Amino acid sequence: MILNARRSFLKSSFLSIGILVTLRGELFGAVSPLETLSLVQNDLFPFAGELGVNAPAYLGIALNHSRIRDTDKIFLRNGVQWLNEEALETYQSIYSKLSSSQRQSILQRISQKKWGERWINAILSYTMEAIFSDRVYGVNPKDAGQKWLGHTAGFPRPTKAFV
Amino acid sequence: MARAYGRFPPPYKGVCVKVDVCIIGSGAGGSPIAYELSNAGFSVLVLEKGKNFTEKDFSKDELAVSRRELFTPSLQEEQHVINQKFKDGTIERYEGAEYNWNFWNGSMVGGSSNLMSGYFHRMKPDDFRLLSVYGAIEGANIVDWPLSYGELEPYYKKVEKIIGVSGVVARHKFAEPRSSPEFPFSALEVNAATKWFDKACSKLGFHSIQTPRAVLPYDALGRSGCSYSNFCGSYGCATGAKGSARAALLQKCSAKIITEAFVYRLESDVKRVKKAHYYDKDMNSHEVEAKIFVVAAQAIETSRLLLNSKNEYFKNGLANNNGQVGKNLIFSGGGSGEGRLRFENLSESEQKELMQAGLFFNRSLQDWYEYNEEGRKLKGGTIDFLFEHANAVSRASREFYNEQGNIIWGDELKNKIFKNFTTSRVLSFEVFNDWLPTDECFVSADEKLKDKYGVNVGVINLWGHPQDLKVGEHLAKEAVKVLEKMGAEEISYSISASPPPNLVAGGCRFGENPKTSVLDKNCKAHELENLYVSDASFMPTGGSVPYTWTIYANAFRVADKLLEILRKA
Repeated sequence: MILNARRSFLKSSFLSIGILVTLRGELFGAVSPLETLSLVQNDLFPFAGELGVNAPAYLGIALNHSRIRDTDKIFLRNGVQWLNEEALETYQSIYSKLSSSQRQSILQRISQKKWGERWINAILSYTMEAIFSDRVYGVNPKDAGQKWLGHTAGFPRPTKAFV
Repeated sequence: MARAYGRFPPPYKGVCVKVDVCIIGSGAGGSPIAYELSNAGFSVLVLEKGKNFTEKDFSKDELAVSRRELFTPSLQEEQHVINQKFKDGTIERYEGAEYNWNFWNGSMVGGSSNLMSGYFHRMKPDDFRLLSVYGAIEGANIVDWPLSYGELEPYYKKVEKIIGVSGVVARHKFAEPRSSPEFPFSALEVNAATKWFDKACSKLGFHSIQTPRAVLPYDALGRSGCSYSNFCGSYGCATGAKGSARAALLQKCSAKIITEAFVYRLESDVKRVKKAHYYDKDMNSHEVEAKIFVVAAQAIETSRLLLNSKNEYFKNGLANNNGQVGKNLIFSGGGSGEGRLRFENLSESEQKELMQAGLFFNRSLQDWYEYNEEGRKLKGGTIDFLFEHANAVSRASREFYNEQGNIIWGDELKNKIFKNFTTSRVLSFEVFNDWLPTDECFVSADEKLKDKYGVNVGVINLWGHPQDLKVGEHLAKEAVKVLEKMGAEEISYSISASPPPNLVAGGCRFGENPKTSVLDKNCKAHELENLYVSDASFMPTGGSVPYTWTIYANAFRVADKLLEILRKA
């Protein structure tokens, strides 16, 4: 029952419920995990957007997938909090309010930390999944990732997304 | 034209099915028996835990197959426990769901043979007499097989014809004797870069072998030939060219298959197995009575089922009064390596050749199947060479780090991915050597954790003998010489005691001594009159090749023994 309740929570609210961010024990405000993750995805690999790949939408699909462990989902959400705490500590502002160069600086800082490297790796991995996903997943309708690299996808292609 | 094979829905709860032979598991170990016995007119029922997928279901969706593991159970529902023993003697417990570590392969009709690459090598005659030829090694339970290569050879040949093995027979110093001069099917098409490999080997004095494959190069055996889709290993075959147990055997026989049927207990008296009890997908329990029961659920699951089938006659698990069930679990020793072939080192025409997609590499080396070190003859192994898997996400993901080992992103990552995808190709190698059987590597049933069926999960107690690493290192260094000679860059390799989950054997070793083995020479349990095990569990040592051909061959051999028994009966 506890496990089911936890899954229901993750499914319904993982990306929609705000995360409270604190600085030295004091509540600073709330941030949206979905918006933060979308912004970070774009900061890490803006070329996905240039290709016309909807990587944030794919992240939403992936994080509702039954085959992705709850611990991985929670880690991504926790990373949003830790990222913002790093931003507050450094610039006294949440990540989404920083300039592009400040955000890159924060990403550089967290990449030197174990959790940060893992978190960036995870977001990049989901971004690559979006870029090379088949059309059936709906986020890469023109096979843009495959065309970018001259990569021939395997045949036969799927007729149904596995979500 | 392949015939659709028979399936029927699970019987109602409490209704017992009676058949001649009940087989648990539909992979390479169980299917030859289903094929032979049902084609001989006996009633055969196969209980398969997974679903039924056919050619039309096998798309090349990397996200589903490789990233979300469509063909293996959810670890939240079914997991393994791994107890890993380290050099200092400490043991760390890993619960699979938490650590995302498991030994599942293909949970489906046909089992993991659907997903294999089909690199087919026979074991060598000396693999059957490892103790006699190479001697004992401290800490390892090495034994000779109760079977010779000569006895199994006709069945290797049978597999070539029925499963379909393609290639060119290599004549080299460790080539095994054959009763037929050539393979029944010609070799698959290969990439032109294999010429560079052959040339490099020639310069080094190595013997390049064209790797035999369980893949049909053209339409035959009621199946379509290879489409060179570039996505073979890890994926189901959409043409049926790959010699899976499903495509090659189950679709060509009248054995009945019940899918999503998890056998949780075998019921016996002191002499015979009486019933198999299984749950359907709705957790209804059913029973099957049979004259003969064959367990072929993959090495770990087979031992687990026997261990979980305790009763008043077998208090430690079925056929386990000698405490041998689960013992001497083995994997394939070795590891893998790679080098990158770059445009900068190639002519324009060579660049085009390198990037030909879909064509196989199919090259192997067995020059060191046996070698001498410090005056002692050592058992070596096989090295298979292949192009890096075509999966785009995994190829892009490997570019996430720069030479200093720091994670990168933005334009730096974009440019690195683009360059490596479009102007280079990675040539990989896989080393196969013996994983020596030891007291420290075995299967048990966990006392605490249960799966979704409420059954104790399997525990893999893991330890690799130091000799395995030593031999693997020797082979990897020889493989590196070839890559260097070919002009590859960024050459690396990894030999470790972390086993590949798809190359598992042992746990119910066969042997002549009932005190030290579970099965007799014919893979019948010493302690029971009608219980057979026909997956890789029977293997007391594994040879230095992938197991599948040997599993198929032995299962055909066991099928012949069962035919004799059933006909007499």
